[in-house]
Amino acid sequence: MVDLLPHILNGLTLGLLFALIALGFTMIVGVMEIINLAHGSLFALGAYFALSMLGGSWFGDTAFGAWWLSLSVETRYVAALFVGPLLAAIAGMALELCLRPTYGKAPLYGLLLTFGAALVIEEIIRLGWGTGEQNLAIPSAINGPVLVAGFIYSKYKFFAAGFSLLAIVAVWLFLEKTPYGAIIKAGAHDSEMVRALGYDLSKLRLLVFGFGAALAGLAGIVMVPIWGLRPHVGVDVVIPAFLIIVMGGIGSFWGAVAAALMVGLAVGITGAYAGAWATMSMYILLIVVVGFRSRGLFGRKSVLEN
Amino acid sequence: MISLSDIPSRSTVRHWVPIAVLALALAFAPWWLPTVGLYQYLGIEITIWMIFALGFNLLFGYAGLHSFGHGAYLGIGAYAFGLFQQQVAVSLWGGLAAAIFAAGLAGAVVGAFISHRRGIYYALLTIAFGQVFWFTSMKLHGITGGEDGLLGIPRPPLTFFGLEFSLRDNLALFYLSAFCLLATVLILWRLVHSPFGRVLQALRQNETRARFAGYEVWRFKWAAFVISAMFAGLAGGLFSMAQQSAYPDVMSLHQSGLIVMMVLVGGGLVGFWGPVFGVILYFVTRDVLGGITETWLLWFGLMFMAMVILRPEGLAGMFHLAWNRLRGARAVSTPLTSEPDLAGRKT
Amino acid sequence: MAFFAARNLHKRFGSRVVLEDISLAFEKGQVSGIMGPNGAGKTTCFHVLTGLHKPDRGTIELEGVSIAGLPPQRIARLGVSRSFQIMNLFDDSVVIENVMLALPEFRARRLDFLGGVFERGELVDAAMNVLEQVGLTHRAWERATSLSYGERRALEIGVALAAQPKILFLDEPTSGLGTEATRGLATLIGRLRERYTIVMIEHDIRFLFGLADKISVIHWGQVIAEGTPAELQANKWVRRSALGEAAGA
Repeated sequence: MVDLLPHILNGLTLGLLFALIALGFTMIVGVMEIINLAHGSLFALGAYFALSMLGGSWFGDTAFGAWWLSLSVETRYVAALFVGPLLAAIAGMALELCLRPTYGKAPLYGLLLTFGAALVIEEIIRLGWGTGEQNLAIPSAINGPVLVAGFIYSKYKFFAAGFSLLAIVAVWLFLEKTPYGAIIKAGAHDSEMVRALGYDLSKLRLLVFGFGAALAGLAGIVMVPIWGLRPHVGVDVVIPAFLIIVMGGIGSFWGAVAAALMVGLAVGITGAYAGAWATMSMYILLIVVVGFRSRGLFGRKSVLEN
Repeated sequence: MISLSDIPSRSTVRHWVPIAVLALALAFAPWWLPTVGLYQYLGIEITIWMIFALGFNLLFGYAGLHSFGHGAYLGIGAYAFGLFQQQVAVSLWGGLAAAIFAAGLAGAVVGAFISHRRGIYYALLTIAFGQVFWFTSMKLHGITGGEDGLLGIPRPPLTFFGLEFSLRDNLALFYLSAFCLLATVLILWRLVHSPFGRVLQALRQNETRARFAGYEVWRFKWAAFVISAMFAGLAGGLFSMAQQSAYPDVMSLHQSGLIVMMVLVGGGLVGFWGPVFGVILYFVTRDVLGGITETWLLWFGLMFMAMVILRPEGLAGMFHLAWNRLRGARAVSTPLTSEPDLAGRKT
Repeated sequence: MAFFAARNLHKRFGSRVVLEDISLAFEKGQVSGIMGPNGAGKTTCFHVLTGLHKPDRGTIELEGVSIAGLPPQRIARLGVSRSFQIMNLFDDSVVIENVMLALPEFRARRLDFLGGVFERGELVDAAMNVLEQVGLTHRAWERATSLSYGERRALEIGVALAAQPKILFLDEPTSGLGTEATRGLATLIGRLRERYTIVMIEHDIRFLFGLADKISVIHWGQVIAEGTPAELQANKWVRRSALGEAAGA
């Protein structure tokens, strides 16, 4: 039983990060009724943007670049945590603009377009940052081993879990306590209604896409030390995101969080018994959940079924 | 917009012209390819991908089932061929049969899981299965050679009624591949014009109505998946011969995405020959544009996205429109009232 | 024994009971009607009778053979055919193909990989035959989407007929039609009744009363009245619910 503990902790950490990804994903689906196959690419972009920021490669040999690199890793990391998601949000909004011509058409076109975008973004990443494995410089304060219940665990994973939890709570507060959040929630429920109430639906969609992308990008940055960073790291993200909303229900906040924790735990525990197959367990879980049941675990017919 | 459901012309001549043109182009390829600055191996690649694409379009265009993980079946065919040569016997027909069978079997298993669905659930399941196959091929070192794949796959000689032809030369392999392509075209052409093919198209348009007309819908969807997987397997077998190796990368989402892009851009959603055009465009882009810039694939992807928005009917659709305009025919929206009907009755 | 009989049908969705202990019987060669206010359960009843939904309880028999719980494609093959209120056609295909796909002889050839479909004279003839019955032969080679609304309604019925059904279920066939087209539809059904057993859901009381031999009134998921048009006109319950007023009150 003690042997399982690190894997359970891994699973929970992963679950919290998945929740972050899934929340952005479900908001987009709720407001726009499309599955964003490029969500994983936005996740990856966030990470790569942070990589460039931290390493200062964009600023090159300029004076600004030199000053930037003179700052402590901590400062640069925190800055990257803000700017990376922001840039991902911009990419997300650009994607939403590209998607506009497909609204009202058969779902196939939105599907193909986001699929194409995913491949295009992956190619951009390959060209811009190379095809190899990369590493993100992280502050020493959150790096390194820590002793937990008699075995060695990673400090970073605690940071990742804690940070994700804070982010989730922040998102919840935003949705529940702010007027913008209320509009997004209403939009997720019934976008026509929102328009009837006088809100600009296109602006709402743009913002929701940007917000969802920012969450994905943020998760991307935090995930790097856990999952590594390669051009196709985004591929492994869409499947759990989709699985989570199938299990937790579209537009359901706590449903997504609960399902995310379950998926994360499944991955973590698989890691205990069949290490290499941990990530594959997500795919197999999707196949089991969607392949066997006619309508996911909760049996509700959704906009996804055309 | 024209659609795959349009009735083909009854005139026998128009039926066979494109097939004859293709046959001639293939027969004389070794001569005209070099004159346009291309090389013989390209011919092999193009014919292989055309087989893959045409089989894929039976599922994607005709049945309207969008699989984003089809590279897996090409890969399985490649591995099966290679393993057959290494473990069983050095045999061309045995290897190709193994490739088709293995891919078909995988398709049958996966198909059983997914054929009760359609749309986004279907697509995501195909992605999931594709990733599982890709991952498995990377991990099973003992069988698949892991990340490096199977190397040194031989090209077995072609034996035919006692005669033996070596396939070591690219030219010979090209002719074998071209022959397989022609066979593929003939089989698929008959298939899509048969009742089976029309039912697939009916399913694409309205599954409910098909069900209430008495059809076991999921069986047809399953069959379409298996058939398309089998053609992918054939392509895979030829592929492993061409490259003399089989590796996991063909099963990746990236490769699966390429076939989707080729088929759509070419016009697979509206015309039988769409996939053929798409494959040609892809390889021309790769070799011509690729000679100029490293970012050619990015441009191809962007073009794909643009076409999804602006010209989902693809090249085949655009050619059809241009051809009609040239003939001064009426608007494309009612092309069928000008079709001659059967038994000489006037419509 | 009735030609088609449903007994004690019960159906609920979640906590909502939509059909409660419904029993219906349709005689061969007759036109039977089902009417009732919106939300009464008429369409759900149809869905259950034709296999789209499984009843929670109850039996359904066609000529004594139980069909309750069978999937719709099997029920269809046993001779139950239906049209839909929200039309279900093969929009991309031409009119004649819409009908051809529903022909039993076409369906029998589904594993036939060899022939060109439109080269087979007998299939085309059979399909044209059906189109003649619904008056659409002049539109045979046009795409289903290019037809007028009334013509699409006729095609919807034609596709249901093509299966040579033992019993034909029509779900609100006059829905969306103007007076002229409704008259045409009444004539069409008047012709069809000589060959087919028909069951119709309808809101248009005049239309229904003019054609049906027997009508069942469904309200609150139950059959509250049954009888010939004349009997129903005299029934005070039927009169009371909004429908009664319109029917020759």
